[in-house]
Amino acid sequence: MKTHNNYNSLLRQYPFLILIHLILIIFIKTHGYAQAQTVRFVNINGEVIAEAESVLHNKSVYLPVDIIKDVFDPEMTYNYHLPKKQLILKTKDKEIRLRMGSKTVNIVTDKKNVPINVPPQVIQGRPMLPMNFFQDILPIFDDIVVLYNPNLQRVRIIPKTAWEGNNDEAGKQFIVIIDPGHGGAEDNGCKGQNGLVEKDIVLAVAKKIQSLSKQEGFIIHLTREQDQYRSRIQRVQSTNKNQGQLFISLHCNASYSENQKGIRLYINNPNGQLRSKAGITKVIGQKGINILNQANYLKQSKDYATILQNELNFFTEDKITLKEFPMIALADVYMPAVLLELGFLSNTDDATKLANPDYISELAKSILRSIKLYETSINNSPDTANE
Amino acid sequence: MDIIRKIIHSRLFILWVITLVVIVILLAITLLLISNSKKTVVVDAPPVLPHTANTTKELPPSIQVKLFLYDPTLSELIAVYVDLRLYPDPTERLKQIITALVNETRPNYRNPIPGGTKLNEVYIDNQMTAYLDFSHHLADGQIGGTTAEVITVTSILNTVFEAFPDKIRHVQILIDGEEVEKLGGHLDISNPLRF
Repeated sequence: MKTHNNYNSLLRQYPFLILIHLILIIFIKTHGYAQAQTVRFVNINGEVIAEAESVLHNKSVYLPVDIIKDVFDPEMTYNYHLPKKQLILKTKDKEIRLRMGSKTVNIVTDKKNVPINVPPQVIQGRPMLPMNFFQDILPIFDDIVVLYNPNLQRVRIIPKTAWEGNNDEAGKQFIVIIDPGHGGAEDNGCKGQNGLVEKDIVLAVAKKIQSLSKQEGFIIHLTREQDQYRSRIQRVQSTNKNQGQLFISLHCNASYSENQKGIRLYINNPNGQLRSKAGITKVIGQKGINILNQANYLKQSKDYATILQNELNFFTEDKITLKEFPMIALADVYMPAVLLELGFLSNTDDATKLANPDYISELAKSILRSIKLYETSINNSPDTANE
Repeated sequence: MDIIRKIIHSRLFILWVITLVVIVILLAITLLLISNSKKTVVVDAPPVLPHTANTTKELPPSIQVKLFLYDPTLSELIAVYVDLRLYPDPTERLKQIITALVNETRPNYRNPIPGGTKLNEVYIDNQMTAYLDFSHHLADGQIGGTTAEVITVTSILNTVFEAFPDKIRHVQILIDGEEVEKLGGHLDISNPLRF
């Protein structure tokens, strides 16, 4: 009878035991092994060139060796020597030896060793390469720059020429005017539910770009350095006086819908999606000399906006749209110019992101990269060479 | 001839002539007074503007008019319908439609025209440009951001062009009778706009 009772009690607990089993299986599946995530490789224009399943191991992202064929060198070959735990890679006429777990990369052909922050590892029975290998080692063998966005798991491979140009123009300094919109007690701009104010965010981003730019050798002028009111005319006057090669007006967006989010990009085009009756008057002075006028810079503004758009698409999940309107903030600026809305303060996600200093820093880095790429594209363009 | 001369020199004739002159003078004075009294009536009446000339006529039956309000769920402007008894005159009709847009409230929609905004006046010039003169609340009530500003302007333009596809080509937004550069600091509205 006692045995029967025990049996009944076990039967009553049976569904509970099954549930415990299921939870254990799910836990082992998700936590016992490294999680797989897709990493996308994109080119300079933001087009996806390859995808690979990554593995997260000891907080580092690892990729299979084969992906090198798709993104770097189709003729790459490799051989894994199991007893020695050694991976021998042959690419771009070089032989590279990596030992699993070792933080040294041996370039046999050049007879030199290169340190690597994260070592390669055997994961799930196959040799895997850490993301650092792609960022730091591959550029040694070719003229490329590899950028990695851990938030979106995107890797961007840019030709070094597009990034650094041919250093002939090194003597010329590239001047950029950053316009943090609004300012002062009279003009706060829009406000977020979390207490964020537009004038403060745009100033923080502008100052971050300015501080980061010192390493790149750009000259960055701000139309306001602190929380002060500056009229449109004052901003235009100081901008034109500084004779920059690029003007970026920073703002934060707002909408009547709390769902709208993401970065928006605008250029001044009186014949854009909204058309002004005044239209575009491309002003040409006597003897064909171009008189300073924003309409004369429409093409250059579009060129830079496209570079910035690609750069921001690499940085953020939401697709960046470029719109053309008659924009008063850009109308009288005599240089290529864009207006960048950094996010919607009316949206909780965007407002939370913009309150994060790390996000501000990454955003500033993306904008700075776009400036660098634009500068290089100008220096490399045949028009500039003929000037 | 003698008879005529006798009549002219007779007292009766002189009296008759004097009476006639007095009657003419009295008649002239009466006419003058009547005409003056008519002028006084015109001055006391409210000024009749050309574009409101037809307002005294009977209004036609109500028709459905499209107004563009913002749907926060879809994040886009949507046409909603209102029944309006519209005057035949285009300027009056435009005023009625934009006033309806300014005042429209509807559940589940946001009116992108800031609260408190009034439509002061409207004009249509001979180049098919409509001038819409709003109170300063249209600019002061902007929530900030290019997107919100574009939504406000697009709502106005959509509503105008939907109602007057052939009669209006451009819309200029005025604030308290003045041309302005901007509503919230982003779009250039200093010139008439169209899509």
